[in-house]
This record gives sequence, C-alpha cells and structure tokens, in this order.
Amino acid sequence: MTDPQYKVNGLSKFFQRGPTTVRALDGVDLEIGAGEFVALEGPSGSGKTTLLQLLGALDRPSSGDVQFEGRDLVRLPDHELAALRLRSFGFVFQQFNLIPTLTALENVEAKLAPTGVDDIEGRAARMLDEVGLAERAHHLPAHLSGGEQQRVAIARALSVEPRVVLADEPTGNLDTKTGGEIIDLLAGLAAEHGSTVIVATHDPSLAARAPRRLAMRDGRLADGALAAV
Amino acid sequence: MLTLLGLGLGVGLVIVISSLSHGLDHAQKKTLDPLAGIGTDLTVTLSPQQQTSSFGGPGGGGGGGRDRDLIQANQSALTDLSKLGKPGQHFVHDFFLPGSQLTFQQSAASQIASIPGVAQVTTGLTLLAEHQSGVVPKIVAKLKTQPKTFQIQRNIPRPTAAQFAQMQACFDKLRGSSGSSGSGNGSGSGSGSSGGNGNSFGGGNGGSGGAFGGGGGRFGGVDRGAFAKCLPASLRRLRTQFTTPQQTLRQVLNPPQTNIQTSAYTIGGVDQSHPTQGLVTTAQVTKGRYLAPAGGKEALVSGSYAAKHSLKVGSKIDLNGTSFVVVGIVSPPLGGQTADIYLPLKQLQTLADQKNLVNVALVRADKSSQVGAVQRAIQDALPNAQVASSKQVADTISGSLVNASNLSHDLGLAISVVAALAAFLLAALLALSSVGKRVRELGTLKALGWTQGKVVRQIAGESLTTGVLGGILGLAIGILGALAIDAFGPKLSASSTTGVSSALIGNLASATQRTATSTVSLTAPVGVSVLAIGFALALLGGLIAGTAGALRAARLRPADALRQVE
Repeated sequence: MTDPQYKVNGLSKFFQRGPTTVRALDGVDLEIGAGEFVALEGPSGSGKTTLLQLLGALDRPSSGDVQFEGRDLVRLPDHELAALRLRSFGFVFQQFNLIPTLTALENVEAKLAPTGVDDIEGRAARMLDEVGLAERAHHLPAHLSGGEQQRVAIARALSVEPRVVLADEPTGNLDTKTGGEIIDLLAGLAAEHGSTVIVATHDPSLAARAPRRLAMRDGRLADGALAAV
Repeated sequence: MLTLLGLGLGVGLVIVISSLSHGLDHAQKKTLDPLAGIGTDLTVTLSPQQQTSSFGGPGGGGGGGRDRDLIQANQSALTDLSKLGKPGQHFVHDFFLPGSQLTFQQSAASQIASIPGVAQVTTGLTLLAEHQSGVVPKIVAKLKTQPKTFQIQRNIPRPTAAQFAQMQACFDKLRGSSGSSGSGNGSGSGSGSSGGNGNSFGGGNGGSGGAFGGGGGRFGGVDRGAFAKCLPASLRRLRTQFTTPQQTLRQVLNPPQTNIQTSAYTIGGVDQSHPTQGLVTTAQVTKGRYLAPAGGKEALVSGSYAAKHSLKVGSKIDLNGTSFVVVGIVSPPLGGQTADIYLPLKQLQTLADQKNLVNVALVRADKSSQVGAVQRAIQDALPNAQVASSKQVADTISGSLVNASNLSHDLGLAISVVAALAAFLLAALLALSSVGKRVRELGTLKALGWTQGKVVRQIAGESLTTGVLGGILGLAIGILGALAIDAFGPKLSASSTTGVSSALIGNLASATQRTATSTVSLTAPVGVSVLAIGFALALLGGLIAGTAGALRAARLRPADALRQVE
C-alpha cells in the first residue's frame, strides 16, 4: 500500500480567548489516502473547520505534525505554503467567498492566474461549463443564486486540478435540494479529476453520502475514526 | 466608491483653498501697492498737523492753530447760501475744499526737484468737492427778548398846612413811642416805598414838591413803614415797578424754505504733461484715453464713480457752469491721492480758485535704493512737509481686502497645509476602511494560493487607480469650486482715508476727511502647480493608505482573515 496522502500526528490548535484557552483541536491523529471522499461530522465548535484549515495549509498548529505527500506543512515557509494552496488545494466555503467585484468567470480566473498556465480564460470557461454555469459566466456573484455561487466556487477550486478539495460546510447556506446537488457535483468532479475530497458538515444526511465518515467532538476524533481507513 | 468621493472632495478642497489664497495675493498686489502704479516713490503733502508741530511747537498750543488753518482753508464750505440766488431759486453749485491737505505754491515742486537723487516731480491738487443742488432757502429769524423791569418815579404836590401839622404830630408820636434817638429834622420827609401793587398807579397826585423827597433812612431806627403811615394817602410819593413778560418773536424773513441735496466727491487736478507720473497715469486708464497734453476741458472719471453716476466716455460733467468731457475711465490706486474725477491741474485750479496752488507733490527717485535718502532730504529741506513712502501709504489702507489678505498671508500656507493634511488623512482613512472591509476577500485570495506580495500589489494597484480617479474627481471639484468663487465670489474692498479728525472743529472734521474705496472681486485662479500638487496628494494618499491596509491584511494568516465576519 502506498503512503497515505495525509499523515496527521497529535495535531492541536489552541486559541486564547481572553483569559481562557480554547482547545479547538486537541491531539488529532489521522491518515487520509489520495482520492478518498471523507466527511468530517460534528456539531459547531467541534473543531472541523480548524482541522480543515490545518490540512489546507491556511494555518499553523499549536503542536503536532501534518505531513502532506511527504512534506511537513508545519515547517514549510509561508511562500511554499502559498504555492501548495495554489496548485495542490482547492477550497470551498460555506459563505462561497467569491470576490464580489469579479464576474463568475473572473473569479475562476483569479485562481488560475497566479499559476501561469496557458489560456486562463478558456480553462475558466470550460470549468464553468462543467458546473453548468456557462451562460452565467459574466454575471457578478450578487446576481447569482446561492447554489450558483457555490457552483462557481467549486469550479474555482477544481480549475487547477488540485490534489485535495477541502470543503467547509459547503451546503450550510443552501436548501436541502440544492445542497444535495452541490455534494453530488463536488463528488462527481473530484472523482473525474482524481482529487481527494474532505467535507466538513454537521448534516448527517450529507455525511452519509461519503464513503468515509469521521465524527468530531470537542476537538477530538471519535473513537474508531482511524480504524475506518 | 466612497474612497473615491472622499479623495476627490479632499483634493478639491486643497485646490480651492490654494487658488483662493493665490487670488487674494493677486488682489493684494494689485490694490495694496498704491504708489507704484502712479510712477511714484514718495508723496509730499503739507498736513496741518505737520505745520502745527513746526510752527506752534509741540504740545497743547498746536490744536488751535491746526484747526484755524483748516477752517480758513475750507472757508467756502461756510459760505452764505443766500449769495447763490434769491430764495426759491434753484441752484446747483460745487464747493471745492482742500480738506485736511493744505495747499502750497506750485513752485515748491522745483525746490524738491533740485534735491539730489530726485528724478522727477509732478504736482497735483486733490480737493474735496461738495455738490449741492436745491432751492435757495428762506431764512427764519427767531428773537428772544429779555424780560425787562421798568421803574417809574413821580412827584407829588406839596401838602396843605393842616396835613403838615397832622403829619408832624404823627411823627412826634412815633418818635416818642419808639424811644430811640434820632435827629430832629425840622422838615419831615417821608418815603413812599411800597411793597407791591398796593398803591394805585393811577392815583391822581399831581403838582410838584420835593420837600418830602429823600430816603427813609434818615429816621434811623424807626420803622420806615410806620412813618409812611403818617403821610396822607394823597401825598405818598408813588414809586412802583413792573416787569414785562418774556416774549419770543419769530419771523419768516424769506419764504419759502427748501431742502438742499448734498453729495460729496473728490476731485483731482492732474499735471497732464507727465502722463506716466501723477495722481493718475496712463497705466490706470481702463477705457478711453488719458488727458490730452493741451489740458482742455476734459475729465477722467474713476470706475466706481462712473458706475454710480452712469458716466461713460463722452459723457459731460458740469462743474459750476463749465462743461467737461469725460475722455477716459480710470482705476486709480488707493492711497490718499485718489479722486473720483480728474481734471487738468490748471482747470481745477481755476475752478476752485486755487491759482498756482497744489497740495501734493509726487516724487520719483533716481534709484529705488535711494528712496530712503531722498525722503530724508526732502524732509530736511521742507520741515513742514509730510513725506510718505509707498509702504507708509499702504499702511493706511484698510478694509476687508486687507483683512482677508493679511489672513491669507498669515494663514494661507497653514490653511493649505491643514487642508492638504485633511485630504490626505481622509483619503488614507477611507482607503484603510475599504481594505478593512475586504479582509475576508483578501483571506480568500490567500486561500486560493495568492502570495502575500501578489495580494499587496493587487491592493496597491487598486488604490493607485482609486487615487488617480479621486485625483481627477478632485481636479474637477476644485476647478468647479474655483469657478464658483469667481462667479459668485464676495467683493472685497479696501479703503484709504486721509485727513485728521478733530473734536474741536466738529462737523468740519468729517468734511476734511477723504475716503477712497476700491472694490476687488475675489477670484481663485487655478494654477497648474496647484492642480499637480492636488493630484499628487490624491495619488500618494491612496497609494500609501492602500498599501498600509493591504500589508495589514496580508500579514494575517489566511485562516484568521477568513474568520473575519463581514
């Protein structure tokens, strides 16, 4: 068996909130293989988002190790982390996080542009076509529905064919039907591009669609999570 | 968008204020350099104050002498109006008074010209004119009589023998009862002094008789009234007084009465043979032409006086029966020798009956560096003269323009700097707040894999664009603001008063003072440098603030940036 894509050991993240220390993550051990579709389940505040951010090199842990494809994310300098985020990771957020002043197409181009690949506009347009938004390419986010905005976000995340797609409550702001469509789209495209998908959600019905479910509680993974690999 | 507007307003403000400051400086230069415009370095006048201090000596003795000079010089103001015609007749007359600037012989000019360092001397005569029109008034006399007391004495006839004996007895009796000593005069005398009207003035006591004349004092110690009682009623000498009541007599001597309209203006006599130096020069002609060298019946009129009296080039002015043609409109500089109407010197001297007399000499020095020395030399040569330099004349000018100009001079730079700082701060704050609002957006860009440098460059580029657009907006606002000031701008005035006021001469004091006012419309000329500075400010403000804000956001870890709630 090849080495797992992620190797996480004793990962902890503490926040100082006034006099009290909040243990957002409290000693997480985890391995994720390439191409897996993993659901992180748990109520708000259980540490899902923090874990996703550490896996996506958006933040540095208080202690512990994150190995991504053999590289230690804790010790890489900022610019190398930025390069990783650019080429290897794709993020999808609950709030969609599109740049409000850019059109759907330009939002996708914003991810492609720093990579220096050829035909940025063509690639971006094809990605929008894949998520079914070819006709809305020149609309600003404000003129798109929530589902459409999230489709743009998915197109943006997958435009660089990332190694991993990290989605934080991607359906949290959508109705159940649209949420289901979004998860299907995400799962389908990720499979097509060969990307790993890690989805954080507090909706058990969405988590149920994932082949692998990790339950989180108080900054820890529930017993047996690791065993499920 | 808000950043853009704020930046634009700030830059516009800086441009308007700077331009305004420029405009004030310009107006000040134009108006407050009074003598340069008339080709003169120094003015020489004979002021009554100067004369007093040299003749009357310093101190209290001076006051009277000064006022006497003034009254004498301005005597025609006190002319009897009845000389103008018969009462009821219409009259128009212009009185010409030298005011507080006493006249001197025109020949003094050659004396000044002989002083070393003096390049040219011209003379002028500025008079205060009092234009009166109306109907010769009736004159009413009002007499108040003094109360007068009349005393009347009248002799009474000699008494009969029987009356005499009775009187004698009466006297003896009185003398005995009083017990006082007294001389026994053989002949009795009585005093008919009466306290009031008790005695009838109409009593019929005719005849003559001095025997009883004399004062009652002779009866020393004895009551005079008592003796009087001894006289028979018919013999008492009548002595009385009466007082006429006070009376006011009023008589209209020359009916009917009329109102006289008076308007004051100033009139200057110009040595037209020196068109570049004088009370007014060719440089100040705004319309028409300067006075012809021949010195005919021509006049120049100041712009403000022309506007007030609807005078144009070609209009005629009638002065005591002599008609003068307006050949030019002038805008004379302020500073003491300004007049509303200018005539050739000879014409004014004739008109005002001031033959060969002038009251100002304008002196130009050979070199500007010699002005001080020439001023002292003239002062030494003519101790009575008041020699004023351009600066000293400028100091007498007052008014809103001077105030605004001083304000601009003192505070103009400060205001500009404060406005610039305000604009800069405003731009910086707005740019910062706009970056602050975009922290999540910047976090997203970082999550997408943008490096810190790229994020900062992006924000700086945007800020630069905002700065450019804000600068352009600011230029538009500034130019429009300056144009608005030009169009609706307030009028600033400067005025210069010459003459002395004196409580002693009362009403005449106001008549001897001359005030000239010049009005300048406030303008705000927009200079290229001001525009460039404003634009640069907008760019710099936007750029620095944007970069600072972007650096702040870029330093945030993407996770923290994303955590920011909008």
